[in-house]
Amino acid sequence: MSEMSRRGALKLLAGQMALLVAGCSKPREEIVPYVRMPERMVPGMPLQFATTLELGGYGRGVVCTSFEGRPIKVEGNPLHPASLGATDVFAEAAIFSLYDPDRSQSVRQSGEISNWAAFFDAMQPLLGDLAAAGDRLRLLTGPVASPTLIRQIKALRQRFPQLVWHRHDPLEDQAAREGAIMAFGRPITSLPRLADAEIVVSLDADPLGAGPRQIVNARGFAARRRARKGLDGIGRLYAVESALTLTGANADHRLALPPNEIADVAVAISRALGAGLPEGALAKDAAAFASKLARDLLAHKGRALVLAGPTLDPDVHALCHWINAQLQAPIDYLEADEAAHPSSLTELVRDCEAAKVDSLFVLGCNPVYDAPRDLGFAQAIRKVELPVHFGCYFDETAALCEWHIPQSHILESWSDLEAPDGAASLVQPLIAPLYDTRSVHEMIATLQGRLASGRDLVRETWQASALAGDFENWWRRALHDGIIAGSAGKPALSLSPQLPQLKSRGNAELTLVLRPDPSLYDGSFANNAWLQELPKPLTKEVWGNSIGIGRKDAAALGAVDGDVLRLTANGRSLDAPVRIASGHAPGVLTLTLGHGRTAAGGIGTGVGANAYLLRADASFAIRGVVATRTGENRPLPSTQKQFTLDGGAADLFPSYALDQFRALAEPSEKAQLPTFLSPPAGSGARWGMVIDTSLCIGCNACVVACQVENNSPVIGPEEIAVGRDMHWLRIDAYEIGPPENPRTGFQPVPCMHCETAPCEPVCPTGASVHDSEGLNVQVYNRCIGTRFCEANCPYKVRRFNFFGYADGQEYRGLGADVMRAHNNPDVTVRARGVMEKCTYCVQRISRARHTADKEDRLISDGEVVTACQSACPTRAINFGDLSQPEANVSALRKEPHHYTLLGHLDTKPRTTYLAQVRDINPQPDGKDG
Amino acid sequence: MSLAISSARGAEAAEEPLVPPAATEASLTAMIADPVLKGVAGRGWWIAIACAAPLALITIVAIGWLLGSGIGLLGNNTSVVWGVPIANYVWWIGIGNAGTLISALLLLTRQSWRSSINRFAEAMTLFAVSIAGLFPILHLGRPQYFYWLAPYPNTMTLWPQWRSALVWDFWSIISYLLFSIVFFYVGLLPDLATFRDRSKSNRGRLMYGAFALGWRGSARQWRIHNLFYTTMAGLAVPLVCSVHSIVGLDFAASLMPGWEETIFPPYFVVGAMFSGFAMVVLLAAAIRWGFRFQGILTVRHFEAMAIIILASSLIMALSYATEWFSGWYSGKAAERGEVAFAFTGSYAPLFWLQLVCNCLAPQILWWPRMRRSLPALIVVSLGILVGMWLERILIIWNTLSNGYLPSMRRLFIPTLEDGLLVIAPLGLFAMFFLIFVRFLPAISMHEMRQLLHERERS
Repeated sequence: MSEMSRRGALKLLAGQMALLVAGCSKPREEIVPYVRMPERMVPGMPLQFATTLELGGYGRGVVCTSFEGRPIKVEGNPLHPASLGATDVFAEAAIFSLYDPDRSQSVRQSGEISNWAAFFDAMQPLLGDLAAAGDRLRLLTGPVASPTLIRQIKALRQRFPQLVWHRHDPLEDQAAREGAIMAFGRPITSLPRLADAEIVVSLDADPLGAGPRQIVNARGFAARRRARKGLDGIGRLYAVESALTLTGANADHRLALPPNEIADVAVAISRALGAGLPEGALAKDAAAFASKLARDLLAHKGRALVLAGPTLDPDVHALCHWINAQLQAPIDYLEADEAAHPSSLTELVRDCEAAKVDSLFVLGCNPVYDAPRDLGFAQAIRKVELPVHFGCYFDETAALCEWHIPQSHILESWSDLEAPDGAASLVQPLIAPLYDTRSVHEMIATLQGRLASGRDLVRETWQASALAGDFENWWRRALHDGIIAGSAGKPALSLSPQLPQLKSRGNAELTLVLRPDPSLYDGSFANNAWLQELPKPLTKEVWGNSIGIGRKDAAALGAVDGDVLRLTANGRSLDAPVRIASGHAPGVLTLTLGHGRTAAGGIGTGVGANAYLLRADASFAIRGVVATRTGENRPLPSTQKQFTLDGGAADLFPSYALDQFRALAEPSEKAQLPTFLSPPAGSGARWGMVIDTSLCIGCNACVVACQVENNSPVIGPEEIAVGRDMHWLRIDAYEIGPPENPRTGFQPVPCMHCETAPCEPVCPTGASVHDSEGLNVQVYNRCIGTRFCEANCPYKVRRFNFFGYADGQEYRGLGADVMRAHNNPDVTVRARGVMEKCTYCVQRISRARHTADKEDRLISDGEVVTACQSACPTRAINFGDLSQPEANVSALRKEPHHYTLLGHLDTKPRTTYLAQVRDINPQPDGKDG
Repeated sequence: MSLAISSARGAEAAEEPLVPPAATEASLTAMIADPVLKGVAGRGWWIAIACAAPLALITIVAIGWLLGSGIGLLGNNTSVVWGVPIANYVWWIGIGNAGTLISALLLLTRQSWRSSINRFAEAMTLFAVSIAGLFPILHLGRPQYFYWLAPYPNTMTLWPQWRSALVWDFWSIISYLLFSIVFFYVGLLPDLATFRDRSKSNRGRLMYGAFALGWRGSARQWRIHNLFYTTMAGLAVPLVCSVHSIVGLDFAASLMPGWEETIFPPYFVVGAMFSGFAMVVLLAAAIRWGFRFQGILTVRHFEAMAIIILASSLIMALSYATEWFSGWYSGKAAERGEVAFAFTGSYAPLFWLQLVCNCLAPQILWWPRMRRSLPALIVVSLGILVGMWLERILIIWNTLSNGYLPSMRRLFIPTLEDGLLVIAPLGLFAMFFLIFVRFLPAISMHEMRQLLHERERS
């Protein structure tokens, strides 16, 4: 060995040390690269697939982003007529349900874990017998709008000719169906085209509220709300309703009446149109309101429509059909698919009680929880010899069934769904089933004695359909587009609705109005922590439901906010905290359905009060309710306590009538406050956001979208009650005007990305800094958690990890390994003690910049779409580069009603607003909304 | 202003001696040194330790719990992001201000009565500032990285963000703490030498001797000592003012209504002196009783402190009134709403209590009888300590609970951990103080001797 130099020795020593250090740490997990890379997959690049999600049985087309096989984000599909590129809260939150650790993962027999083979063995002899045994086999489903499922059930009936199919939809608007039968002689579906209506009158209907048509209605409504320079007019929305809904909150004129008096408003309108009905008993101001809106309707024939809500009786629905016919209202009428309307739950219960049912297959619905209690479904199912439950959760119904069969999540399944207007689209799986589950089609196929894959079953449907030409191409196109071209409902032609005979209505009693929950819908989303923690649009309450009550009724009861009321109706009672709400009609209480689950899972069980308990039938108004105070006081946690804009705060939410808006001057550059500071340096883009508060209907889709996109954790009711929350984007709701009947304004508040951000100079470590494109960014690694930035933020948009909400101290079971899969890999999961906030979806900006750089061009306007913007059904949120004068945001900033929040602080926010513009009926009258 | 009053009153009350008439240098020294060097700890001391030690232990447990579980244990929320630790910090820093202020400012203004109180007031400063320094760290989301406020060389080549008042805070606390230690130690040197000389045990001689740094009491040493000590006193005054001014800037250098006020720095300094003197009154009363120091901690001392308290109370009242006036005069809705919220909002009872404690109750000190009554003075001082804590917490709560956007107005709901962090450190402080009086002279012997010398000379 030659002599070693000192330098060489040191080199060797250093090398040894490096080896030693590297050898100390074992890799925590093995990383195995693909041997054969799947086609189209580039590590680090997400893939997007079109599919369809279900709500109330109907489909909404979505585009789902998948990252290395994990679906992580749902966005709207612009080609799908029920999505139009936007989403609602339920679509956004579907990702949570997919990874929900409480999902049913195995077959169970009598509650004990079993397996598929045992289930098949148990089924084989039985199904053989049943073929001969007549109508002793029953099928119970929720609302069905899947062509494949309908085809399969038809086929099943061929095999078991006596099989009876029952359908149960807890939120079915039976009054609307009966009203249509009354008016047209058959159950016509009517779909209003709000975009074509200048005058819309909503009679306790909530077209902008949660439901399968929410996005479509909201987009139509927004089409008539886009107040811009030089505009002629916008649509006018009247709402007559028992309690504030999203529709009423967005109305130009609103009147609160109990449901039985709302019927009289419909009568008053019909009388103005020449119906010879006897006059209703409306109070003076209500009559004035009715005559005002009737005149407005008459003046806009062909461009006016009236909507009736589920609390109204069938005859009022029929009357509204007649009114709409006289008005030549912009409504699409469709023939209802009677194949999808089989027997009801009532008949099933009757047959069970009569011991006519041997086997019952409950597919994807939960009647033990959500059927009207007077029906006695829970007692009836005990009389069935072999009840089988098929669903995603081991829920209340599953607990009473002999067998429970786990259903695949819709993002794991092949299927197809129709939108309310009949447009069909395919459902394709984004991921192989996480557990040993089957789709509903595979389940039905087993009943037919077939073992077929869901994909084949769906293809069979469409191969047989006339729509398909060259099938493989057609199939690929349909999957790619997420819509089946040319599919549509069957229009109902030459309708002439009859003027109905009106029943006499009872006297005013205390009425409980039930509504679908804006976050949980019918209760099937109860175990979705994102939705449980989603502040309800009008009350901002989370984790529970409260009884809404008007001020006068509350005073009569001596109740204050948070007092627990006992509601008694139909011989049953229910305790829930009360919330004194604005805009309630006297004698009306409200409660949302979907809460109070007893077997929802770790998140949803025991949260809120189950309003289904009080229901005698499927109606949405329970008359003759008795309310008493229990003496307990436990207000629900909420994220907003003050809804009024006191004193000087009024300029936070300016609201203009249309003529005031027209008189507004254009904003001038002089309005800028003088400054010694030089304009911010930096070249390239200047990102900015403009939010149109006229268009924001408060639906919350953006809030969930932001949470999903940015890995915002759920923190639980106890934390919210303390006053903490983690949503980067919140929607402030303000009530403007008299407290009895205020106007509501919604103001989405993300980070303002101030050019002179107050959070930046106060941060001692420089964790809050500006980037070259004007984003106010938070460097999580550098943050030590002094919280000075949030203390100094006038908008209070920063969110602090007081605990390790996503980092070892998760709420309930949310730290489960499977939950980690939902995280967006482009966004850091924040540690305990770190401040975070809206980034304008900086990861999306980066992606767009990379793409543009590769193609050697600038990022074009509209190329970066933030998560909130993408979700918004009304397109109220606009994002873009302010340095481009032709960009949409730059144009919006020149609108006369453009304003900055707290502009006098000279923070120079990049997020700015367009003030609310309402079309107030200029006719003078005493009362307006 | 307060000094002028106290000086005038001092001359007026000159008939009452600051040292016992029969005292000699030897008797004075013995009076202060003997309880420490010869006496065994009395029952009172042990009872006091028994009360303080569990609280000190709870402090440590509470801190451990906080570090382990995260600051979510506190009642802070999204709107009221600051809470009890910040109020505690300001309160303890305020207490800590008075010691050095008394020592330095009264030395420079030749207030001879300071000699009997400056030593334990300086000790109080050390302990209070040490405890105060804990809170900004405990309040951090990631306390393990508190040192990122210091400009230490690091691989990221990142420095603190100098515009932040919290960085100034970091420096002001550190420099004040270091300065207070040195100032205390320098003043203690001749007394440590006395203890070395008087100590009977070898261990005592060794320990006191080591810390006395070879003090021999030569004329040269005294000259250097006096020069150095007076110079430090000259430095101390601006430092004391800067510390609490900077604490005031934590709030004032913001744009929140109720914080964004130029009056905050001076008003915080006076507030600190106010609460500091209240604490000194309590400690002086305790030492006077515990060591039977009636002869050297006379009613005249208490009266002088009462006058300073009264003057500070008036300044505080004026500051409050100025704050309300400027809130109203600004014409800004947010500022006016802030004042209205303080008087009528959710925390209004606490606010009224604060005004009673800080502005109303001290007014009884206009009566000489009250100034000379120890029980009255103790009650007023306790009230001031409560009132000043309330002032600090309400500055935080009122502004952050009632910010610009009505939608984000949220109240602060205190938790158990908040309560522990308020109460338990008092025990830690008492612990420190009890240990101090057992091992070091609570009153400056050499300065008392000098007082005697000056009396004899005149």
